[in-house]
Amino acid sequence: MSSDQDHLQETDTEARFEFKKEENSAFETEKGLTEETVRVISEDKDEPEWMLQRRLRALEQFQEMPMPTGWPAAPDLSEVDIADIVPYIRPDIETRGGAENWEDLPDEIQDTFDKLGIPEAEKNALSGVGAQYESEIVYQNMQEQWEEKGVIFCDMDKAVQEHEELVKEHFMTKCVPPSDNKFAALHGAVWSGGSFVYIPEDTTVNMPVQAYFRMNSEGMGQFEHTLIIAEDNSEVHYIEGCSAPKYSAFNLHSGGVEVFVGENAHVQYSTVQNWSKNTYNLNTKRAICEAEGTMEWVSGSMGSKATMLYPSTVLKGPGATDNHITIAMAGEGQDIDTGAKVYHNAPDTKSTIESKSISKDGGRTNYRGLVHIADGAEDSSTAVECDALMFDNESTSDTMPYMEIQESKVDVAHEATVGKIGDEDVFYLQSRGLDDDDAKQMIVAGFIEPITEELPIEYAVELNRLIELEMEGSLG
Amino acid sequence: MSTQVHATLSEDAVEQISEDLGEPEWLLETRREALAALDGLEMPDVIQTPGRKWTNLDALDYESLVDPLEYAQDKDRIDAEGVDVLSWSDALDEHGDLIEDHFGSVVDPQRDYLTALSTALFSAGTVVYVPEGVDAEDVKIRTTMNSRSLFNYTLVIAEDSASVTILERQTTGTDVDGDQYYSGVVEAVAGENAYVQYGTLQNLSDESYNYQVKRGHADTYGTVDWIEGNMGSRLTKSSVETRLLGDSSESKIVGAFFGHDDQHVDIAARVWHEAEHTVADLVTRGVLDDEARSVYEGVQDVGREAWDTSSYQRENTLMLSDDSEADASPKLIINNHDTEASHSATVGQVDAEEMFYMTSRGVDPEKAKNMLVEGFFVPVMEEVAVDELREDLDQLIYERLRE
Repeated sequence: MSSDQDHLQETDTEARFEFKKEENSAFETEKGLTEETVRVISEDKDEPEWMLQRRLRALEQFQEMPMPTGWPAAPDLSEVDIADIVPYIRPDIETRGGAENWEDLPDEIQDTFDKLGIPEAEKNALSGVGAQYESEIVYQNMQEQWEEKGVIFCDMDKAVQEHEELVKEHFMTKCVPPSDNKFAALHGAVWSGGSFVYIPEDTTVNMPVQAYFRMNSEGMGQFEHTLIIAEDNSEVHYIEGCSAPKYSAFNLHSGGVEVFVGENAHVQYSTVQNWSKNTYNLNTKRAICEAEGTMEWVSGSMGSKATMLYPSTVLKGPGATDNHITIAMAGEGQDIDTGAKVYHNAPDTKSTIESKSISKDGGRTNYRGLVHIADGAEDSSTAVECDALMFDNESTSDTMPYMEIQESKVDVAHEATVGKIGDEDVFYLQSRGLDDDDAKQMIVAGFIEPITEELPIEYAVELNRLIELEMEGSLG
Repeated sequence: MSTQVHATLSEDAVEQISEDLGEPEWLLETRREALAALDGLEMPDVIQTPGRKWTNLDALDYESLVDPLEYAQDKDRIDAEGVDVLSWSDALDEHGDLIEDHFGSVVDPQRDYLTALSTALFSAGTVVYVPEGVDAEDVKIRTTMNSRSLFNYTLVIAEDSASVTILERQTTGTDVDGDQYYSGVVEAVAGENAYVQYGTLQNLSDESYNYQVKRGHADTYGTVDWIEGNMGSRLTKSSVETRLLGDSSESKIVGAFFGHDDQHVDIAARVWHEAEHTVADLVTRGVLDDEARSVYEGVQDVGREAWDTSSYQRENTLMLSDDSEADASPKLIINNHDTEASHSATVGQVDAEEMFYMTSRGVDPEKAKNMLVEGFFVPVMEEVAVDELREDLDQLIYERLRE
């Protein structure tokens, strides 16, 4: 039996919430993305034969699958033309980097960095200019500390070379197979860069593992792969910082994140993404959680033109726990369609989902979530809470939760509220001397507090600052 | 009623029904168009996630089940003072123009395959006409289905400042071999300041398939309230909907279902807020036993111009068996920020603490469970203004628990 089938059996997805798998002749032609492109990427990276074969198989699957359709009120992906996107891959691989100079970056991004108060050197790093150097230093310092414990933290390309067996076993086999959806297949074919984290048994990494600079260093973060393996009784907090608006030649980001949470292990994955506003952000993130393990997802979605992202957790072992905290903010022209999926496949499993969204200036946010409680997952419980805040009448906020309950001894609750920013609250703050903008910013800061308090201070500050920037001058 | 041995789904059959009812040409034309449209129409929307439809409506071969001219029913209509509660033939005679104005104005006759089938073939049904300013209480319609298929169409017209409460009961009478199919369409028009409460108690046989669409339009200060009680049938697909078209209009959709054996209940409750200061409240409670399955979709859609909207939804499912399955999707679609909206859904089993409390006071476990299940329905029962409906529903739940 293939590993994909294993995965399907394990997760009992029945592709319910995944993209449809049907033949579609439109993608059978080798338009844009060709086998040649994939071979070039693999050769460039001096990959072993098995990885090339996996890429080619993923490419085949990508070409067979149609664009996802049929979801109620799904973001418009009609502009996502693979033929247009894929040719950008090669030049990017060859040049290995984003913009050459700070001055080459779009004004909008330069402006944002300035407002964030980021020093010149860091600006260069964040924007992908000369980040390679910066990031090497960052990693080196951390590695010394961890190597003694057997912890591995490196980029994925390096992991394929140096930790081949671990990668071969876990990479897009059990957790996110390319057959999962069209963009997972695309990712499987052209993935590049990303992080590899391995925490041995009984090991606690008590400071957050951060991949902040590195993603930009390769300049190809748009198809980055993150693979986290936390063995039994281990603990790690991984943070992926895309919190700076990324300058991107691509208009498609299709990353993949796979997390293996061993028995009684604890993994927290935090990310704040702020892709440029012309980016389609179509990610697949999934964790498999063994008995008594805990998975925590903390994510902030700020940027992109359209985002479709539903981090999911398969609670495979008894007593496993999953927590999601998500925040989405959509401004003008943005459609942030995000949520969470949890599969309770074992008894005594628990999950919580806390979702906050803010929409303004005609932006749309949607919480689209799935909670599945399988037959036999008795004594499981889940609580979903969605709160939406709307600034104006041009914006849209939707909530589309799905719950599939096949077991009676469970406790399932979903709650959602939507409201405008409270006039009384604004009045209260104004009457105490704050101007309108400040008052609203303060209310928003309070609204998103559940997420900021989960993040290390520098990320929390940055997230708040980003939201302030998004709101600046746009309030009525 | 009329019988023909070789009735098929044909234009002839449609013409025959129309002639039996003494219909005007426009209605026959509407039927013909619905019949002609069947080929191109899809089954009604069901909750769908890629790879799975939560309710399988394609399982049944409707056309073979349908025997358009072979319809038999007992109908009992109890009217109230000042209101006309009429069969289609009588209604067409007395209020032809009124019916022409409103027929198909709320429920699109070609909304989907099953609705079009119903439009083309309905032979049973009732028109309730409440003239301006009339208060009519306790209109009752009892329908007993005695044939393989029955197509029922109800049109409710409440003029300005009129009010009416209607209780409709749907049951099966004499045994018919094999599957049965009941199709019901209800259109309700509430004028300015009018009030319509329409309660349905569906208790068809376990061999029947049941499709219902009920939809109301509420004008300024108008109210359309629905009570949706589902006990019977093997498969029920029911959509209960209100469009709040006038300022300050309101709607309440109250649902209760109790599935057992391998019953499948698919309920959709939907409200569109399309004017200012509108209020909606959706409350559904359901119990599942044995291998029963429920699918619930609730939609609160707040339009761009719906300033100052209040919209609430709660759905609770109680599962009594491990083999039962519950799917729920309460959706919020908000296009106006001046909105106070919330929705919630819960699924669980009989509360262990409450069981302990009861049993520790000497109530035997079976009885304690039954009491708790009956208690579970109380918040829904309290919303049912029609005494008879509440009592009947109560009785059916009582009986089901003791089967």
